[in-house]
Amino acid sequence: MDIQQSDRNLENIFPSLWKPHLLAQRMLAWLERKLLVPMPQLIPVFDHTPFAPGMLAPFLMFQVPLNERAGDEASGGGTGTQGSAPTPNGIPRYHRFRSGSSLKILLFVFETLLGMLLVGLIASLVHMAGWLLPVATLLYLLIVVPTALLCGFWQAVVVSLTAVVVHSVLTVHQGGDNPVADPANAVTFIAFILTALVVSHLSSQASRHAEEAELRRDQIEDLYEFTRATLQMNLHEEPGSRLAALVKATFDADAVAIYDADLHQVYEAGEWGLDAREMAQSVFYFGRVDDNAETGISRRVLRMGNLPIGSVVLKGTTTPLTNDAIASLVAVTFDRYRAFLNESHVEAERQAEQLRTTVLDSLAHAYKTPLTAIRAASTGLEEMGSLTMAQRDLVALIDEQSGLLNELTTRLLRTARLDAEDVGLNITDVDLNGLVEEVVESVRQRQPEMQVLFRFSSDQMTLSCDRQLISSILMQYVENAGKYANMASPITVSAEQTLTETILSVHSFGPVIPIAERERIFDRFFRSSASSHLAPGTGIGLSVAKRAALQHDGHVWVTSDADEGTTFYAAIPTKEEEGVVV
Amino acid sequence: MTSGGIRILLVDDESSIRRALRPPLMELGFQVTEASRGEEALQILRGATFDIVLLDINMPGIGGIATLGRIRAGLPRLPVIILSVRDGEEEKVEALEIGADDYVTKPFSTRELIARIRSAVRRAQEPKPKEDTPLTIGEIHLNPVRRSVTKAGQAVHLTRKEYEILFFLMTHAGRVVTYRKLLTAVWGGEYRDEIDYLRTFVRQLRKKIEDDPSNPIYLLTDAYVGYRFTDDPTVVPPPSAEED
Repeated sequence: MDIQQSDRNLENIFPSLWKPHLLAQRMLAWLERKLLVPMPQLIPVFDHTPFAPGMLAPFLMFQVPLNERAGDEASGGGTGTQGSAPTPNGIPRYHRFRSGSSLKILLFVFETLLGMLLVGLIASLVHMAGWLLPVATLLYLLIVVPTALLCGFWQAVVVSLTAVVVHSVLTVHQGGDNPVADPANAVTFIAFILTALVVSHLSSQASRHAEEAELRRDQIEDLYEFTRATLQMNLHEEPGSRLAALVKATFDADAVAIYDADLHQVYEAGEWGLDAREMAQSVFYFGRVDDNAETGISRRVLRMGNLPIGSVVLKGTTTPLTNDAIASLVAVTFDRYRAFLNESHVEAERQAEQLRTTVLDSLAHAYKTPLTAIRAASTGLEEMGSLTMAQRDLVALIDEQSGLLNELTTRLLRTARLDAEDVGLNITDVDLNGLVEEVVESVRQRQPEMQVLFRFSSDQMTLSCDRQLISSILMQYVENAGKYANMASPITVSAEQTLTETILSVHSFGPVIPIAERERIFDRFFRSSASSHLAPGTGIGLSVAKRAALQHDGHVWVTSDADEGTTFYAAIPTKEEEGVVV
Repeated sequence: MTSGGIRILLVDDESSIRRALRPPLMELGFQVTEASRGEEALQILRGATFDIVLLDINMPGIGGIATLGRIRAGLPRLPVIILSVRDGEEEKVEALEIGADDYVTKPFSTRELIARIRSAVRRAQEPKPKEDTPLTIGEIHLNPVRRSVTKAGQAVHLTRKEYEILFFLMTHAGRVVTYRKLLTAVWGGEYRDEIDYLRTFVRQLRKKIEDDPSNPIYLLTDAYVGYRFTDDPTVVPPPSAEED
């Protein structure tokens, strides 16, 4: 049997004996219930120390009520014990004296000793003057009550007990005043002690309430000031560092650290003396929220709704409720900053879009004007006749090449417009059958020899889409089919619609696209080895189609086979509520 | 039709385009007067008579659309062909609705432009048919008095709206009729934006009058702009520089 096992057995048999602090705690709890006075809690540092009860004394810690400014919420410390519950107003009722709070212990001892000294002097005076016991008890009360008011309840208790003891010792040879000698004197002293206790309790409670009210008022004023400052904050710049400085200044904190999870940035104010960055991040990642009275450090996660957006760590004397309010205000300020930024971003995008449109229009004009002149001149020469065969060939070459240049310009501008349309699609309900027919007509005007068959899953289909972008997909597919398909075979343009997607496809018989190239042909400037020699091209068109489909959360692909022919597809998601209009 | 005597007012701020068009047009017998701005064109039109105006849309000053509006106010029957460099169809539609007779998109070939000029001038010089004059284009014959349509001698049964669409398009044969114009003429002004409605009817109409509705030769679509009923079904529609 090891030591700990033995320890547990003994504890089962003599729990109170083995752990005298438990017995003391129970007694204090009983007193607290009866007297409505906060009692100290005795907590061993080592919970299962196999030492004799008498040896536990040095390891006991106790907490006592104190009337000091809070900030001071009790919390788990080295032993991991729970802190005392805060009062309904958020101000903790207890201060806990720990081994580290030596200053407070010294203050307690000093106040008690001073009180004891005073009652000693009073007792001596009473003894020398030979005053009666009632006079003496009233004089003792003059010491006990101010002690309770100025120092605290427990100091007053010790002082009043000291008065009883000192008075008894000094009057041990005076039977008349000695409480031991005369039972009436004992009654007088009991009455004195009870009076002292009640008066001390009432006065300390009144004093505590007054201080709490003052503290609340101060903190509300601080919060008001902080709210006002955050509302007036210039949100053109990231507010993190200014918020940290503001919290420190407004709440008189020793140090503040704010973590912005969105920017992965920690803002500090004051001297931490430890790694505040890591601490702030761990608060965010582990959701650790607490207030440590010993270190004075409070941790909060910043949330917008249920979404954590960062954390704030304070070292100071603010109460838990104030810390909650600070965290909320910091979170709201971050959110306002994001909204402001987003608004500015949208406005900047709108202006950029306007600029792009203007530039593209200017470019279209700048490129197409000389092209028009070249084409008009070359075709004009041909119309004028009287050209030799060689001259006709040269004119035809100029015409052909200017046509190519025009096609290249058009496609580049189309791609640039597509880039510009990243800002947003112009979604409308489009008559799909009409759109397909219109695109085919448009291509047919340039390639009149093209034979086209339509295949629709319904006579009337509607698709919510950007009309221009879907047109550009179809136009590219149909143009390609017109350029590369065998002249004898017709081109089949299909549109099928289900509840979930719309599939547009263009089928033709032409050169087979190798498997390795079926994805790459949708890349910009890539041209298939199977068809690049058959017709001039830029390698841009299919990349435009791909981008247009992606903008609708759709995708494009191609199948190609010598027997089955080549089919280009584009699948566009159909919203469920649209369905198929029959 | 010869080009002799056709007086053209060419309005374009780009001198290179004017320089490229002028020699072949003059060589082919057209009389060409040039203007570089809308205001200048209006000034010239006050002092001279022309058979047709070629009008650029994108010009400094009052611009092509406003110039067209003023021309129409004073000379409602003067044919105007719009020269447009823009990809957007909205301006073409706007110009056609204000009263342009036709449009060509830059860069165009001189041959295409000349064909459009001749067609527009011919239509303008033809006496306006009476409303009850029978119309015949290719194999399609329409009798307004009997409200009957035949194709190659075979009766074609049309609904009332289909007939009205066909009648309006045939009376404007060779010209682009915008969707809105057609909708307003057949259904009334309150339906002028119901383009999808119109497309459904045109699809049905094509099934009845075209040999191959997928490859129509009579009722043609001018992509994104409107419809055009051919005035000569034996001629394949001239290739257009249509883009986007």
